[in-house]
Amino acid sequence: MNCLQAEEHFSAHFEDALDYQTLQAFEAHLAACEGCRHEHALFQESVIAAQQLPQIGTSPYFMPALQQRLAEEQPERLSFWRQLIQVVNRPRWAFSGMMLLIFAAASIYFYHRDIVDWNARPTAIRDTQTSQQEGQVTRPLRTGLSAVPTLNNSRQFSPGSSMSSQPMQQHYVLKTVSYASTPTRGGL
Amino acid sequence: MSELDDELMQRFQKGDEGAFTLLVRRHQQPLINFIARFINDRDSAEDLAQETFIRMFKAAHRYQPGRARFNTWMYHIASNLCKNELRNRGRRDRYRVENVVSNGRDADGDTEQVDLIASAPADASFQPDVQLERKELRKAVQKAIAELPEEYRLPLVLRDIQGLSYDEISKVLELRSGTTKSRINRARLMLKDKLKSFMEPL
Ligand SMILES: [Zn+2]
Repeated sequence: MNCLQAEEHFSAHFEDALDYQTLQAFEAHLAACEGCRHEHALFQESVIAAQQLPQIGTSPYFMPALQQRLAEEQPERLSFWRQLIQVVNRPRWAFSGMMLLIFAAASIYFYHRDIVDWNARPTAIRDTQTSQQEGQVTRPLRTGLSAVPTLNNSRQFSPGSSMSSQPMQQHYVLKTVSYASTPTRGGL
Repeated sequence: MSELDDELMQRFQKGDEGAFTLLVRRHQQPLINFIARFINDRDSAEDLAQETFIRMFKAAHRYQPGRARFNTWMYHIASNLCKNELRNRGRRDRYRVENVVSNGRDADGDTEQVDLIASAPADASFQPDVQLERKELRKAVQKAIAELPEEYRLPLVLRDIQGLSYDEISKVLELRSGTTKSRINRARLMLKDKLKSFMEPL
């Protein structure tokens, strides 16, 4: 251990926080190095002097003045979202919330998948045929488009009789099939 | 101590304002001491302590027992207020050491005028009164602390004057524990160097 390393351990030695090996090396260095011994003594003396500074008292005006100021203040009310975040931040609520969310997402997923599976084929073929017969311009789907805008579009663009009478899921399938059967007109 | 603080905060959160008054009574003295020692200004310390408590009062609903301790939260707010205050004061009167000395009023509220520099023993044959020597040492220590750079002064005051643990200081200052330890050691070494002329017999 050199002088610089010894200096690094002054605080830990002062607080009795050195492990046995470091303590041995530290004390061996101090025993051999007069400079560090002297600095170490000064170090301890100044830390003790700082620790022995008297506590500064409170004036008698402090509390009345504070109470007067507090009387003019209102504790902030947390917004609904902050309250929610605080509740969710608690571990057990966070876990329950997460499970609920997963359950809800799974339910929605399976519900939709089931409907699409049941209706996909026949509706798609029927609707494609219908729209082609009516000469309707179907916009090609672009990659990444979700089902929702497609549903809205198909509603707007189809004046036909069949649209209003059919469930939404059928329109979704219609668009998917239209994509395959309609030219993309250059690029996605 | 922290359990009672938590309980009082929970009572306050439920609308018991007396619980907050009790919290203030429990923490006002250490807080004022901390601020006065850190900014080296007793008069402003009470204003800043009031501001700290007002901020805690207003934001009490954000306090979550068990996640933070009342006193680390308090010191965190107070430290930031002090840093802002020092920044606003600017360089010239940042530490107010000269004012304190020339007004003959030190941070302890003593009114006796003692020149800190001249008070160091200049003559080995000089036998000062023990009380006077202690008083002068205190002033020298306060002056030396006030001269430390802020990032070293703050952890030193929290550790050696307020007696916080390393873990608490890391939380107050949002530092890693290794950084806290090395800053405290560095701060103490600086303090030692500043007090050397006062402590070493010539
Ligand atoms: Zn050495």
